[in-house]
Amino acid sequence: MHSHYIKEKDFKAFVAKLIAAKPVIGPTAKASRQQERFVFAQLSRPEDLRLDYDVTILPPKKEFFPPRQDLLSFDGGRAKPCLEPVEKVLFGVHFYDVKALDMTDALFQERNEDRNYLAHREAATIVISNVQKVSPRAFWASIGTEVKPRGHDAWLTKVAGGYVLETATTKGEALLGFGSFAAASESQIGEARRVNESAAGKCPKALRGTSASVAKKVRAAFGNEPLWTELAKDCFSCGSCNTVCPTCYCFDVQDWWNVDQKSGARTRYWDSCLTEDFAKLSLGAGAAENFREERAERFRHRFMRKAAYLNAKLGGPACVGCGRCSAACTADIADPTEVINKIPEAA
Amino acid sequence: MPATPRVCACGKKAADVKPNIFLPREAEIVRVEKTTELERVFTLRLADGGRMEFAPGQIVEAGLFGYGEIPLGLASSPTRKNTFDLVVRSVGRVSSALNRLEAGQSLQLRGPLGRGFPLEELRGHDLLVVAGGIGLCPTRSLIQYVLDRRQEFKRFTLFYGARDPKQQLFTSELADWRKSKDVEYHETVDKGAAGWTGNVGVITALFSKTRIDPGAKIVICGPPIMFKFVVRELDKLGVPHRNVYLDLERRMKCGVGKCGHCQINDKYVCVDGPVFALSEIEHLEEAL
Repeated sequence: MHSHYIKEKDFKAFVAKLIAAKPVIGPTAKASRQQERFVFAQLSRPEDLRLDYDVTILPPKKEFFPPRQDLLSFDGGRAKPCLEPVEKVLFGVHFYDVKALDMTDALFQERNEDRNYLAHREAATIVISNVQKVSPRAFWASIGTEVKPRGHDAWLTKVAGGYVLETATTKGEALLGFGSFAAASESQIGEARRVNESAAGKCPKALRGTSASVAKKVRAAFGNEPLWTELAKDCFSCGSCNTVCPTCYCFDVQDWWNVDQKSGARTRYWDSCLTEDFAKLSLGAGAAENFREERAERFRHRFMRKAAYLNAKLGGPACVGCGRCSAACTADIADPTEVINKIPEAA
Repeated sequence: MPATPRVCACGKKAADVKPNIFLPREAEIVRVEKTTELERVFTLRLADGGRMEFAPGQIVEAGLFGYGEIPLGLASSPTRKNTFDLVVRSVGRVSSALNRLEAGQSLQLRGPLGRGFPLEELRGHDLLVVAGGIGLCPTRSLIQYVLDRRQEFKRFTLFYGARDPKQQLFTSELADWRKSKDVEYHETVDKGAAGWTGNVGVITALFSKTRIDPGAKIVICGPPIMFKFVVRELDKLGVPHRNVYLDLERRMKCGVGKCGHCQINDKYVCVDGPVFALSEIEHLEEAL
C-alpha cells in the first residue's frame, strides 16, 4: 500500500503503545544463556524487542499451531470446541518465516478447513522485519526464491536514522495510529529496498539448483537406498528437525481426563515423522505393521516432503532455508544444503 | 434491540465460520455382537435421528471422549435400514474401550470420511472382491450393496480368507453366501481345525477354483502382505491395473488430511483413499 517512516527516537514509543493496546509477540533474547539465543514471546516492554536477532529457536507458527492445543473439551458425552482466538501482533518476523506461515495457511486451509489454526491466524497482524543479522546455518537466499513472502500486513526495514514501514493491508495501516509516522521519502524507500536486497548475499550456506531441478533429483533418488541409508546412518530418530521446522505441521491427538474422570479434553501435539512409531499401527494379538520402519525411510520421507511432494500445492519447496533443522539436529546430519547437494542430478 | 451477530476474533461472522472438523457426533449402539475373541460388530444409529449418508468403502473416526479415536471402515451398506455397522478389533487403548460398550450406550464418530469404492466404475461389470481377515469388514459395505442391487452388476465373485475357522467374521452371512445364487463365494483358511472341510491355504489358491474374466473389476482388502500376491495372480489373468481397486490400511489419525500419519509418499490415505486404483498408486514406492 504505502511506505511510512518513523525516526529511531520515536520507535520505542511506537512499540510501547502497541504493547499497551494488544498482545505483541516479538523476537527476544532467551535469558541466562552463554550464547545468546532468541525466541518469539509476548513482549512486556519495548526494550525486550530484539530486531537484531539472527533466527529464533522455534518458528512463529507456534502462535497459531501451538505445541499443545486443545481441539475440544468434553464433559461426559458432551463436547464443545475450544476456539478462542485472540487478536495479536506478530512483530519482527523474518520474511522466510512469513513464507512458511503462508504455506501452513494453505495446508490447514485445503480440503478440510481447520479453524483451530486459521481462526488464530486470521486474528493476527504480521509485521516482517528485515534480516539484520544472518544465522550461521541460513540458506534462504538459495531456496524457493520464486516463492515471495505473502500474508504479512506490513514490512519494517531499518534504515539510517529510523525505520521504513511498508504497509500491505488495512490491518497493517492500522499500526500507523500507534506511532509518529510520516510518509517515507523516495530515498528512504530506495534505501529500504537496498537493505533487503543486500541481505541475500550474506547467507553462509547455499543450495545448488532451481526448485524444479532439486525436486526432480530428490524424487528420482527415492529408490537409491544406499544413499538414504548413508545419509541417515547417524540419525537418532529424535525428531528435533521436525520440532523446529517452520513448515512441519504433523500432529498427534490424545485425550486426557481431569481428576473427576468425567471431563477433559482432546488435544493435539506436534508430532515428528522421524520418530520410530509415526507410521506404525497395531494389528492386534501383538502384531504390528510399521510402514516406515527404517530410519532411512523416515529421513527420506522428510526430504521428499520438503523438496518434492508439496511443491505443486505450494508453488515451491516446503522449505524456506531458515537452517533451524540443521542447527537443532542431534547428530548434525540434517542440513538440507548438505543433504540435497549430495544427491546426484536426475538423469 | 436487534441482536448483534456473533463475531469471531478472527473478524468473521459466526455464520461464515466453518465448523470444527474435530467435533464428533453421537451414535447410539443398537446391538453389539461378539463375533470372534477380538472383534465386536456394533450396529449403530445417529443419536440425532438423522440418517448416516455414506458410500461403501468410506471410513469414520470412531471414538470415546477420554480415550481417543480410531479409523474404521463402514462395514455395512448404505442400502440397509437406518442403522450402520462398525467392527472393532481390540488392539489398543481406544479399541479395547470401545469393545467394552454395550447396547444402549453411545460412542462418538466423525464422518463419513475419505473416498470409497468407485460404484460408477463397478456397475455393469463382472466384480471380484478379495477379502483377507478383517478386510472383510470394509468390503462388506460393498458386498451388501451389490447383493441389494444385484441387477446393476454382472457376475459377482467373492474370495474370503481367514487365519482359521474361528477367526471367520459374520458367520451367519457367510452361511447365506455359501448358498446364494447371487454371489459365487469361495473361502479358505490358513490353518484348518477339527470339523473344517473347506479349503486350507493362502487366498491366492482360490483363483484356481473359478474363472475370472480379464475384463472384471477387482476389489482387494486385506493385510498389507496380501495385496502383492493377489496382484500377481491378476497379472497372470491379464487384468488391467486401472480395473483393480485396493482398500488400504494406514494410521489415519485425524481423518481429514492434516496430521500426516497415513501418508503414502505424497498421498493422504484418509482423504485421497482409502480406496485407490492400482494404476493410481503402483508408481508410489510406499504403497504396496
